[in-house]
Amino acid sequence: MDEVINRNSTIARELKAGSGAEVGMQVLNDSQSSGTVGDIYVDDPRMTCRNVNVYYGDKQAIFDIDLDIAKHQVISMIGPSGCGKSTFLRCLNRMNDTIDICKVTGQIKMEGQDIYDGGLDVVPLRASVGMVFQKPNPFPKSIYDNIGYGPRIHGLNDDKDHLDEIVETSLKKAGLWEEVKDRLDQPGTGLSGGQQQRLCIARAIAVSPEVILMDEPCSALDPIATAKIEELIDELRENYTIAIVTHSMQQAARVSQRTAYFHLGKLIEVGETDQIFTAPRHRLTEDYITGRFG
Amino acid sequence: MHTSTLIIVLLGLMSLAYYMGRKRSLNLVSGRVRDLHSLPSYYGLLTALWCGIPAILLLVVWISFEGSVVTGLVVDSLPQETQNLPPERLNLVLNDIRNLATGDIVSTTVDENMQQAADHYARLQGISHMAMFVAALSLAILAGFIAHRSISRQQRARNRVEKAVNFFLLSSSTLAIFTTIGIVLSVLFESLRFFQQIPVTDFIFGLEWSPQTAIRADQVGSSGVFGAIPLFAGTFLITLIAMVVAVPIGLLSAIYMAEYAGRHFRSLAKPVLEVLAGIPTVVYGFFAALTVAPFFRDLGASLGLGVSSESALAAGVVMGIMIIPFVSSLSDDVINAVPQAMRDGSYGLGATRSETIRQVIIPAALPGIVGGVLLAVSRAIGETMIVVMAAGLSANLTANPLEAVTTVTVQIVTLLVGDQEFDSAKTLAAFALALVLFVITLALNMIALHIVRKYREQYE
Repeated sequence: MDEVINRNSTIARELKAGSGAEVGMQVLNDSQSSGTVGDIYVDDPRMTCRNVNVYYGDKQAIFDIDLDIAKHQVISMIGPSGCGKSTFLRCLNRMNDTIDICKVTGQIKMEGQDIYDGGLDVVPLRASVGMVFQKPNPFPKSIYDNIGYGPRIHGLNDDKDHLDEIVETSLKKAGLWEEVKDRLDQPGTGLSGGQQQRLCIARAIAVSPEVILMDEPCSALDPIATAKIEELIDELRENYTIAIVTHSMQQAARVSQRTAYFHLGKLIEVGETDQIFTAPRHRLTEDYITGRFG
Repeated sequence: MHTSTLIIVLLGLMSLAYYMGRKRSLNLVSGRVRDLHSLPSYYGLLTALWCGIPAILLLVVWISFEGSVVTGLVVDSLPQETQNLPPERLNLVLNDIRNLATGDIVSTTVDENMQQAADHYARLQGISHMAMFVAALSLAILAGFIAHRSISRQQRARNRVEKAVNFFLLSSSTLAIFTTIGIVLSVLFESLRFFQQIPVTDFIFGLEWSPQTAIRADQVGSSGVFGAIPLFAGTFLITLIAMVVAVPIGLLSAIYMAEYAGRHFRSLAKPVLEVLAGIPTVVYGFFAALTVAPFFRDLGASLGLGVSSESALAAGVVMGIMIIPFVSSLSDDVINAVPQAMRDGSYGLGATRSETIRQVIIPAALPGIVGGVLLAVSRAIGETMIVVMAAGLSANLTANPLEAVTTVTVQIVTLLVGDQEFDSAKTLAAFALALVLFVITLALNMIALHIVRKYREQYE
């Protein structure tokens, strides 16, 4: 019943956005054909993905994915290796553009704007959809310049004082300020792994994104650093929408409100995290979370 | 029989030994290879090595001592007055005897004594050769036979062959090292002889270079001034021009190749750049001397500038073109070595390609690029052929690239080309120049390699 209501509200919104009834119908049909179980749609989405297919050359990596990403929520994407969850995540800020042979079809909208529209510039898109990678990748620059990099290239800072302020607030939000405030001029590569990853999160925050994508942000970190990052993710939810790919089901359960389970390039099931982990509806999801494979 | 025949015979014996050793090991276990300690081929190899190596060592020792022993015996048979000659004169006589024995042209008239000595020499040589043949072959057969007999089921043939291989590898690598040391020492000692005649300070700080010296006392000629500064100044001027050409073009082409170029363009442009690296320097040399230098001269003339027809500019520009592939391929490697994660991080923040290159990739690759440029500099400094053909001979101390300058390598060539006496300061100066040049390029290479290595560690 819930599902139907959600779906109807989406259609209503699409109609309001002026996309036409046809699109609404198509969404309905396609969502049935994609065969995903659970609540694909949410009332208040930041991003909507419809019919997303991704090809690497001749090989199709992602099949017909429909998914909404809700505002101020953490959505985690889980699934066995090679299931396409990272590929899907990288579609959300067009990071796949950097791979020559990669082709994306379908529609991904952010606030009603199709991000794969030919006229859209990826520069502001990537500023509003930030990304944190699996391995911490601070630039070989000072901590200050690492954070200042984004604001500088986007011209967000009015003057030096303003940039100082941005750096300070970003580091504070990332929970790193107290640890590095006395050595902002030292290289970011000299920090510990966990600090580096928080530096990368601060770097993403510094350009004031609306969505932050995280691709296995803790897989290169020890448990203590992981706990800190998870805590941080929970705090960040207040201001940002977060999509996180993770291999750790405990992590998904701890930090996310919604969970999407991917299998062989298909979105199998999506729903409230509690429900996915306690009462999965699809057999594959159940097999995966109970550890029968993956 | 010639020595080469002996070596061929030895190789034949070794193959025979290989075959026999292999066969014996198989016979021992009646074909069940798993009962042997090593594979049959190792027993064959071990037998072959025993057959060949002692004999070849004997050959080497024999050949290196044969000459002096035979010569000593011939000298003893010479008349007393000849034996009492000073060493240089005695050497001349011995040379004549050798030439007479082998049937070459002799510098003096042949007398009775000479002919006798030559016959004696030829006879001794023949005996020595014969003895060497017999000794080497019997040693080969004997050692091979013993090795063949000692093959047993438990013999650790594999380990011994590995040890022999290990030794071969070691001796090959030390050969290169000893050659280097030999070159350095010879340059060093000749330079010391030079510095006994000309003070080091005059050489290193002297502002005038004019190596012409009077060979005979009655000859008119300058006494020779050996101030190396004009040469090094010329070298650095040409190197600087070469770098001004090569570094920007090489670096920019590397950036384009690594970051922008499509697969098609890269597959086309890379081989073409490598062709540029494969052109012999002598070709660059006459390109510089016959095409580029006149072009600059005419261009200068039309602009009202006096450009020498052997200008530093022409030599430098052509040298720069020669070094472009060197700089670009080294920078290309370093730029490609910057982890993809850096690029992703920058793209993920919304940076464009050129912002990423300028602000992330180049700073990250900078140490490696600097190392590559330093290697290119040391190559430019040591480059000879282009400057011999395109740069001048007069040692001008000038910073004007339109004038002719000369370089260290050019002077070394001119000092040593033609008939030389090997105890004059003029000739020995070449060694001193070579020594300083060597020290400079060695230092540059070491700094460059250190930087490159440090950079590699940063990311792995």
